Amino acid sequence: MAYIFYPGCASEATGKASFISFEAVVKALGMDVHGEIPDWNCCGATLVANAIGDFAQQAIAARNLALAEKAGKDIVVACSSCYLNLAWTNEKMKIDSKFNSQINEALAAGGLSYGASLQVRHLIDVLINEVGLDKIRERTIKPLEGLKVACYSGCQTVRAIRRPDFDDVEYPVMLDRLVEALGATPVPFPLAARCCGGSQQFTNPELIYDLTGKVLDCAAENGADVIVTPCPMCALNTDAFQEKIAKLNKKKYDMPVLFVTQLMGVAFDLKPKDLALQYNIVSPYKKLAKYGVKK
Amino acid sequence: MTAANKQASRYDPAFANELYTIENGHYIKQCMQCGLCVVTCPARHLMDLPPRRYFKAIQAGDQEQVLKANTPWLCTSCNLCTVRCPRGIPIIDVMHGMKLYLAQKQGVKSAPGALFSKTFFDVMLKRGRQWEAWLTQMYFLKAGPAAMKEAFKMMDVARPMVLKKRLPLAPAKTIKNKGQLKKIYEKAAALAREGH
Repeated sequence: MAYIFYPGCASEATGKASFISFEAVVKALGMDVHGEIPDWNCCGATLVANAIGDFAQQAIAARNLALAEKAGKDIVVACSSCYLNLAWTNEKMKIDSKFNSQINEALAAGGLSYGASLQVRHLIDVLINEVGLDKIRERTIKPLEGLKVACYSGCQTVRAIRRPDFDDVEYPVMLDRLVEALGATPVPFPLAARCCGGSQQFTNPELIYDLTGKVLDCAAENGADVIVTPCPMCALNTDAFQEKIAKLNKKKYDMPVLFVTQLMGVAFDLKPKDLALQYNIVSPYKKLAKYGVKK
Repeated sequence: MTAANKQASRYDPAFANELYTIENGHYIKQCMQCGLCVVTCPARHLMDLPPRRYFKAIQAGDQEQVLKANTPWLCTSCNLCTVRCPRGIPIIDVMHGMKLYLAQKQGVKSAPGALFSKTFFDVMLKRGRQWEAWLTQMYFLKAGPAAMKEAFKMMDVARPMVLKKRLPLAPAKTIKNKGQLKKIYEKAAALAREGH
């Protein structure tokens, strides 16, 4: 199946490592991804609807759908928040004819239209259901034997379209299956689809300390060596805030946080530049050394 | 005025009716007070009114309580209450509608979340994409010295982010067709105003 990629704004900043490792993994698996949506814009994340309302944000998100439709390819998204905005807007375009005609009225002001012909798919969904675990197992050159992984799907990843999607909305398992295919061991992780606090680092920092702290505690208590996630916000909060939260809670976590495509890159024995581990704040090198990862 | 009358005047049905007409506001009428949203919400312990009580206060027209509650600003959009609500209320959408209403009624400086959301939107509309380092600066510039003092407590988090290139200071890419994006937004905003 042919796809076009929606990278999202984090791909150029907090989630740069996700972007780099995504491109490398796509190539390693021979996936049919035809570059980025030309001139894609911000999906609005979790914030824009607060300032302009749901409908106007969804019209802005729909510009990306219209541009992708021109290219005639289904969309693959790695960021969970982008996935929520694009997939939910797309779902509403398909099921709500009044919404569809009003969004098209807004798009027409910019000379665009969207016929709701596309699918918006999350990367995990495409990896499991299109590429398939057999192929991922086959491509695994360095099985991650003995590596214990907390598979943090994240909240918006599995609840974007508000009904069962490619995974369970409360207790997701797809990321666990993927990590198993790489030879690693997923640990029990009941907070896999619980919130890290999202984008409230400045506006309600106590919320981040509390919720991200619970995620880190849960991973540590279940014996995880690393956390793996597809979501740039989950990754940012668990990685960048880890030391601060450890101090506040008088704990030590030493819990590297990897994007799922970074971990795949390790198992696929990709080059260091493709793993993009230099962006990680909690150093992952010690825990990945036995799989041949060097600085 | 007797105590009973004073109590009664606290509840204004016109206020409830006003909120039923905001974007997604009509869903509030569906709430049957089961409380599943409360046991679900990861931020409930920091809320003045947890979602169930917030919806009850709206239904009762308790303007004073609703206007001062921090409830919507703590919603993280995790969507768990929305998939669980037995009455099918898209609570996340209701919270978006309330945040827009509150920001318009009380001004964007009435809550940090309102100012941050507005700043995020302004940067996004101007550039077509987000530039996090610039967003952060713009936000704290508008939020004032007290907020900036708080921000300095976050330097221990920001420093490694800058060192590890997670928060690039150089301008992020912009889109080419900014005019198109602006036209789509303006038309959508006009349609939304007509819609309710």
